[in-house]
Amino acid sequence: MSESALVPPSTMVLVSGGSRGLGLAIVTDLLDAGLTVAAFARTVTPELEKLAAEHPDRVHVGAVDVTDLSAAQGFVRAVEARFGPIDGLVNNAAVGQDSMHTHTATADIARIVETNLTAPLQLTRLVIRRMLGQGRRGRVVNVTSICAQRGFPGLVAYSATKGGMDAATRSLARELGGRMLVNAVAPGFFASEMSAVLGSTQLDQIVRRTPTGHLTEPAEVVPVVRMLLREHTNINGQVIVVDGAASI
Amino acid sequence: MNELSRAQIRDLMAQVVQHQGRVLPDDDSADLREIGFRSLDFSELALRVEDATGEELNFDAPGLRRIATVGDVLDFLAELQRQ
Repeated sequence: MSESALVPPSTMVLVSGGSRGLGLAIVTDLLDAGLTVAAFARTVTPELEKLAAEHPDRVHVGAVDVTDLSAAQGFVRAVEARFGPIDGLVNNAAVGQDSMHTHTATADIARIVETNLTAPLQLTRLVIRRMLGQGRRGRVVNVTSICAQRGFPGLVAYSATKGGMDAATRSLARELGGRMLVNAVAPGFFASEMSAVLGSTQLDQIVRRTPTGHLTEPAEVVPVVRMLLREHTNINGQVIVVDGAASI
Repeated sequence: MNELSRAQIRDLMAQVVQHQGRVLPDDDSADLREIGFRSLDFSELALRVEDATGEELNFDAPGLRRIATVGDVLDFLAELQRQ
């Protein structure tokens, strides 16, 4: 295989939902690896502000609701004007769910779908249009969830959106014909954040069923995201589960 | 909104339990696990209250996890109607 056929490692990565939890951990890890990172979230937390202050020449942050496409477009333009073309995208922004489908308000279902499925599809379209238009290659990593593959009560709409992103990952990888690598990382339940949707009894059950004996930590997911953005692996159109084998 | 009283909700709860061949205890402190009243039974009861009032009752799961007794069920649904 010729070197020119390879998709080069990403150097300028956009991370949605980068202000806390896994998103913040991804931003921190990519900065530690020497990359330039643009991150947005509905609210820019002090932690993200601190990273921006520590790396003023390599970080661009902004308060953007991922469902606001025009704001996302403005953010991308501002990033490219400052740092040059984006060649990596991490779709991490998402909202959780904690309600039985029967008793979830229709407006809440619409909001979950818009935030977790429609918005990342739109953001991906926006970013890859710019990559393709500039004749560039790039990489996309979608943060999905084990919920896309296994059933959990109280997470019906959320699971549907994550399953949708897993499916989009495969189709997009095909569609982009190797000019871009598109993959997904599907963490198991974290001890914090989204795991608030499960009761302690359910979490205890998951831990007991997990051969590694613990819930997934963000620090265990970020190396996988970094690998998909940086390494030459020929992994494309895949969903990599990071859950200690709880789901097998 | 046609709000149901606590007693009316209790009647509906008794119907749900009776439909499964059991009897709802008179004591509000009765443990739901002992009478086999599970989350889907709660869901069925909430939908019966919806039918009676004509209003959707939507709620998140954490509130449900605190429900342990018959009285908790009645209190939760009575309060939910007022929100």
